[in-house]
Amino acid sequence: MKESNFYRDDFEQLIREKTEQYKMYPSERVWKGVHNSLHTKRRWFIGSMSLLVTGILFFAGRELITPSAHTSFVRKPATTAASIAEAQKPYLAAHLPHAALTSFHSTANTSSSTRHNDAAADDHSAGLDPTYKDISITLSHPVIDPSDLSDWLSRVQLPDHAPEIPVIAARIATGDGGRPAEDAAKVGIRPGSEQASLRDGVEGSREPAEAADADGLSARSVLESLSARGPEQARNARVSGHLAKNKDNGTVTADGLISETVSNASKASAGAIAETRDRQRINWLHDYAMNTLPDPAKRGRTFFQLTLAPTLNYRSLNGVDPSYEKWGPINGFNGSPSQMMNHSPAYGFEFGGSILYRLTRNLSVKGGLLFNFARYKITAFASNDPGAPQGVSLSSYYGYVVDSLVRRNNGISQRSSATGSGPVTMQTLNNDYYQLSAPIGMELRVLGNERLQFNVGATIAPSYLLGTSSYMLTDGMTHYNKEPNMYRKWNISGGVEAFLSYRVGNIRWQIGPEFRYQLKSTYTSQSFISENLKTYGLKIGITKMLP
Amino acid sequence: MTEEAILQGCLKNEAAAQRELYNRYSPKMLAVCYRFAHNREDAEDMLQEGFIKVFSQIHTFQNKGAFEGWIRRIIVHTCINNLKKNKRFNESLDIVHASGVQVREESVPSIVQAKQIVECIRILPIGYRTVLNLYAIEGYSHKEIADMLDIEESTSRSQYTRAKQMLEEILIRKKILTKPREKTDWLVAIR
Repeated sequence: MKESNFYRDDFEQLIREKTEQYKMYPSERVWKGVHNSLHTKRRWFIGSMSLLVTGILFFAGRELITPSAHTSFVRKPATTAASIAEAQKPYLAAHLPHAALTSFHSTANTSSSTRHNDAAADDHSAGLDPTYKDISITLSHPVIDPSDLSDWLSRVQLPDHAPEIPVIAARIATGDGGRPAEDAAKVGIRPGSEQASLRDGVEGSREPAEAADADGLSARSVLESLSARGPEQARNARVSGHLAKNKDNGTVTADGLISETVSNASKASAGAIAETRDRQRINWLHDYAMNTLPDPAKRGRTFFQLTLAPTLNYRSLNGVDPSYEKWGPINGFNGSPSQMMNHSPAYGFEFGGSILYRLTRNLSVKGGLLFNFARYKITAFASNDPGAPQGVSLSSYYGYVVDSLVRRNNGISQRSSATGSGPVTMQTLNNDYYQLSAPIGMELRVLGNERLQFNVGATIAPSYLLGTSSYMLTDGMTHYNKEPNMYRKWNISGGVEAFLSYRVGNIRWQIGPEFRYQLKSTYTSQSFISENLKTYGLKIGITKMLP
Repeated sequence: MTEEAILQGCLKNEAAAQRELYNRYSPKMLAVCYRFAHNREDAEDMLQEGFIKVFSQIHTFQNKGAFEGWIRRIIVHTCINNLKKNKRFNESLDIVHASGVQVREESVPSIVQAKQIVECIRILPIGYRTVLNLYAIEGYSHKEIADMLDIEESTSRSQYTRAKQMLEEILIRKKILTKPREKTDWLVAIR
């Protein structure tokens, strides 16, 4: 590569040496370009993730704004329950004797025997077919001797006239067709229905006589098989003897009435037993899921919240000077202090902590402490008015006494005619308030899921005035004065807020506007002026579940 | 991090190793690019393109020579390819007799001699400068230069001769060289 005479020339050698010493440091842009070019996978990954997050946010936002209907969600578990029962048939067949021999309880008893919380139970039952809400059977005694079923059957007192047994019930009892409980419910089988019947037409293409015959045999076989386990076979035979079939109309009849509960198990029929069995299967699954399966991790209900809010503070003034009240408006001035004042909002802040307790999934109550620094501005003339009342000591930097008002006239500040003569200068005064409050209130989740939510809240907060550096009007509204004794120490304010919250790990972040209004006047009742502070804030907070 | 570790990391496409390699060689390589380029921005573009080639072709490095030399060759070739895209560069190579270069005393900052010399090189017409860079500094032969730039070998020689004369003249005018080239004792003044 190099020519032999390269270093022969001192000039070239010099140039080479000097240029080799020279270094330049590239900007970061160069490396970024290199890096981005080399790691395109990373770029694709970031792009994909960004797209994914954007998509999630889009759909979450859309769900938040226009939540979709939940009808499909409600229906689905009913189908699922039936399918689960279907799928679990072999397992249930082995365990059904236990289920069949359980005591039947009313719904009230059921709720006392279950150890899952009501909310969860409601959620679950909400997903089932409404038919199953009518009867609730639980395994209060999971281990019972199967032979008790015969005893149970032996105690049955059969009616004089046998009701018709629905064919579908008999089929379910035999389990021949694997017809799910859902279908049984659809054809109108209800507990306690005295004449629950099903014509062959309902059964579709089956031959009436054969179907009735087969169903009658099936129903009979169920009862026989059940009664065979008990000691009093005579009674059992009586039960099966009540079964009859009517080939003419294709219905199967029995001389017993279907009973819902054991407590009044004076009437029974094969159809009822079959139906009850089917319900037991469903309820057994329900109870198995609720009582046997491990509980999901219990979720805490107590949360700690920290908030910080930059605020914009203002006030509203009410009250009329008694002299104006007496004489009426003078030159258009009606004695309202808000007509005299030239005040403007100013920034403040507040921060605090709260404890939240979640009452329900959507509603929480909270209480805490909040430090609030509120401020607004007023404009005044500084003058050396000799008529200033005693106690006015608002010397400005210029040596004047800040003792006069600014009257607002058509939006233009001008010196009040009530003040004396002399040199004046405009001044802006800050009215500062330092308050400690204890807000208590509630938060309600309006929209969203566990991750992204839109909430509203309301609080009422007793507050204590820690300190103030503010000016209040004197009687006659001629001067400003600092009079700490005229300020109310205890006050109360109400607030409303709305915020978006997003959960990241264990922390829930929230941001949203808030508004608070001081319900009682800043001043004591000795002052004719009523001042109510108003606070507009952007509240930012984090919430963490307490262990 | 040793050079071997850097190399292995770069072969695995590890960003940390790539960054280390970049940090180690980019200052020198930017100076190389700067001598070829029209301005610093162009030099950085060349450097970026060159390092992308370095990292993407690092598996072709066979440890037969210095790693820095291998990188340098890629960077130089990248610079040349960039220059060849410029029409003015191609035209300048055909100029046998370059007109005199206007050199002002204050156009070259007198900070350090290395920088002064580099800046003086950059004053040269682009054709002269490229041949000078390739021959005197990068050590390519005129034949290699001719192949690289798609010119005659004689053109490369003549361009280099004139470039050297012009640079010498600039250096003297800038008072970096104190004496004419015929008398070599001016080197003492620099060294």
